[in-house]
Amino acid sequence: MKRKSVVIPGFGLTTGVTLAILSVVVLIPLASLVVFSAQMSASEIIDVITRPRVLSSFKVSFLTAFVASLINAVMGVVLAWVLVRYTFPLKRIVDGTIELPFALPTAVAGIALTALTADTGLVGGFFANFGIKIAFTRIGITVALVFIGIPFVVRAVQPVLEKLDPAYEEAAGVLGASRTRIFWKVILPELIPAIFTGFGLAFGRCLGEYGSVVFIAGNMPFETEIAPLIIMSELQEYDYSSATTIALVMLVASFVTLFLVNVVQNRNAKILKGGS
Amino acid sequence: MSTVTQSSLHRDTKGSKIVRYSLIGLSLLFVFLMLILPLITVITEAFKQGFAVYSKAVADDYTIKAILLTLEASFFAVAINTVFGLCAAWSLTKFKFKGKKILATLIDLPVTVSPIIAGLIFLLTFGRQSPIFSLLQDADIKIVFAVPGIVLATIFVTFPFISRELIPVLESQGTDEEEAAALMGAKGFTIFRRITFPHIKWAFLYGVVLCAARAMGEFGAVSVISGHLRGKTNTLPLHVEILFNEFQYVPAFAVASILVMLAILILVARSVIEHKGRKK
Amino acid sequence: MYVELKHINKHFGNFKASDDVTVGIEKGKLIGLLGPSGSGKTTILRMIAGLEHPDSGEIIIDGKVINDVPASKRGIGFVFQSYALFRYMTVFDNIAFGLKIAKKPANEIKERVHELLELVGLSGLEKRYPSELSGGQRQRVAFARALAPNPQLLLLDEPFAAIDAKVRQELRSWLKGMIQKLGVTSIFVTHDQDEAIEVADEIIITNRGRIEQVGTPYEIYSNPKTAFTASFFGQPSIFKDYTKFRNFESIENIDNAVVRPEFVKVTKKTEVQKYSKSAEEGIVEEVNFRGFGIELRIRVNGVVLTARRSFDEPKVEVGEKVDVFLYQLFVTEGNEARLLKNQSLREPVVVI
Repeated sequence: MKRKSVVIPGFGLTTGVTLAILSVVVLIPLASLVVFSAQMSASEIIDVITRPRVLSSFKVSFLTAFVASLINAVMGVVLAWVLVRYTFPLKRIVDGTIELPFALPTAVAGIALTALTADTGLVGGFFANFGIKIAFTRIGITVALVFIGIPFVVRAVQPVLEKLDPAYEEAAGVLGASRTRIFWKVILPELIPAIFTGFGLAFGRCLGEYGSVVFIAGNMPFETEIAPLIIMSELQEYDYSSATTIALVMLVASFVTLFLVNVVQNRNAKILKGGS
Repeated sequence: MSTVTQSSLHRDTKGSKIVRYSLIGLSLLFVFLMLILPLITVITEAFKQGFAVYSKAVADDYTIKAILLTLEASFFAVAINTVFGLCAAWSLTKFKFKGKKILATLIDLPVTVSPIIAGLIFLLTFGRQSPIFSLLQDADIKIVFAVPGIVLATIFVTFPFISRELIPVLESQGTDEEEAAALMGAKGFTIFRRITFPHIKWAFLYGVVLCAARAMGEFGAVSVISGHLRGKTNTLPLHVEILFNEFQYVPAFAVASILVMLAILILVARSVIEHKGRKK
Repeated sequence: MYVELKHINKHFGNFKASDDVTVGIEKGKLIGLLGPSGSGKTTILRMIAGLEHPDSGEIIIDGKVINDVPASKRGIGFVFQSYALFRYMTVFDNIAFGLKIAKKPANEIKERVHELLELVGLSGLEKRYPSELSGGQRQRVAFARALAPNPQLLLLDEPFAAIDAKVRQELRSWLKGMIQKLGVTSIFVTHDQDEAIEVADEIIITNRGRIEQVGTPYEIYSNPKTAFTASFFGQPSIFKDYTKFRNFESIENIDNAVVRPEFVKVTKKTEVQKYSKSAEEGIVEEVNFRGFGIELRIRVNGVVLTARRSFDEPKVEVGEKVDVFLYQLFVTEGNEARLLKNQSLREPVVVI
């Protein structure tokens, strides 16, 4: 049983400082968004959201974020598996490099990926031979989002895979299951919640991503314009109400994503606790 | 039980060898193409026209000013988030109170907010359409399109970075040691310094590194709030953007290479810290 | 009374951890707070220490009400169940911590720590870290650390719970001897009846936030006052209708009868039985080897009783018919318990 401690000092001070900074930095600014949008009428809001250009930007944002997160879900499991189960040269470097998207400024990643995948770039030039354009298309956006999202899945799956009791696999092996079967029937189900968590976190991050995408996207209306970019251009035209409205939609979407991730995590934590 | 025992099941068969090598190959290819190659690109593009052009771009006045502003914003972000992270971690792990779960969720909120929206909310709070705008003007305080705005936005996007590293460590450590020290009459700060801090030393350092990294690299939020006044409110990432959009590719990559080196430094620091933390 | 609790109540949410607890402890005694988990024993200990505040009631130490005295000023030493040793300090620094906080001079601290290290038999280990010690050694360090500032009252929360069964036995007698030697009033919490009986001078039995009974181990064991205490010790067989056993006084409205294994005498048909006239016939259902002897499960008069026989007695087999004699039993009514002796014991025994 966990108890509230009555002898450890500092509750008032630390909680007070926490609430004060939280209010100034997070709560009041977020509230101002709500206050500002509350001044708009429902028809105004619907007007903004149903503009064809805005609708198309939502579509581009959700589609590319979804596809990129899907790719990351698969590659993330492969990378986590390789890093946990195998030994090979350069393993430590590969493990460290996974974290690169967290450490590298998104703008730098953006211009680097753009230079690489443009027709004149190393990778872009190769694919241009087959008539595939990467930079300035939705493929380019997806590539940038794969870059941004990969550590989320790897870092969600890796610890679960590390803790996975080998007894499960051994039990299945003793019962005569083949290795492929063991993976699909025994290991993968154990990993699903972690994969979903990683997918959700990557998806949420990709939805809002701006820095790495803005360079590679080309920003063609109806084609490669993402929602954060529309917010940005509305702001440059000082149309704050439109910007706020679109921001609100994106905010709700990422909160819903976060909420779902939390639900899965909580359920998973309960199962893990009950099982051990 | 983090180590996987090499039981007879894991012994290689021919088929599993093929699977193993193709998975390793696929992973190496992915990491090289997606992560390493972009880094190399930045460096090669930066030195495309020789070292002289590179050093000129890096030593440019605007670049220096951008570096200084970036360091300033990062310093404040790390400082505020350190105070916040330590307080929040102490409050959330050493005590039980109503609304604790909600508080923990609110602290994590900023990372799920798009950087553009992070910038937008500060624009709405302190900008022209804010109810307090005239007050700020009367007091001659500039926040939006000025350094304070950049600092605020940077604090926002890195908000939970330190507390998030500390909370799990303190949670697993429990409160017995602190209670024991308090029973012997130790005061709050002594307890923190002598008993608690040694437990969270490495996690704290790791949080600071992560926070600094993100602060230096933040682009979207700062982009919205800065107003892009060159030499005045330009951080390094914004400077990269301006140069790139002006088709000054070599200088853009030269400035970017500074950030790449920072990123590599941070990754090395991270793995050193993790290694040290694990040994203890 | 050195420590007194008067009408203490304490809730955690809807859970009533202390329900009108009133109890007193004499100076210099070693007290065991015994009860099942969730019975509120640890809460009592933590409230005396000041780690928890009672909702109502008074805590008195040495004649002073200390409800509002901060934990650190109560003059108590506390040994945590997990020991709560400072993991990033050496053994020396752990023991010295309280003295340093009290701003004692360095040479005095050094002297005291070495004195304590010698006392607990850990001289030479002062530079070790807690992670480099065995469980038993850690407990000794925790004990020394709690004693360092010369507390008037020593509180120990499940002091043996985290130790291997083998070492536990040794530590029990060590701790008892140590506390007797020092003469410091001590209270320890345990859920282990054997531990309480073996170590404590006096036992306080708790159940569901209430004090059930206070007394010496012998009193509590042989003369339980409540239904809970009667059924808490040993491996009692509990059944309803005891009147089928002859020679027991019949009382109205009895809830249960409690029979401990040592109340049961089992004899083979071929053996001589002193009270054969008043013995009942039973059938052996199980014969189990235990370290101390043989444990039997015997069906008599429709109830199954646990009984014991020693190794040097002739063997009994499953299915065998045997004579069963009950010396005594406890009967309970509500939460009250009383002892009933077999009446045939009072009759003069004819020695052949």
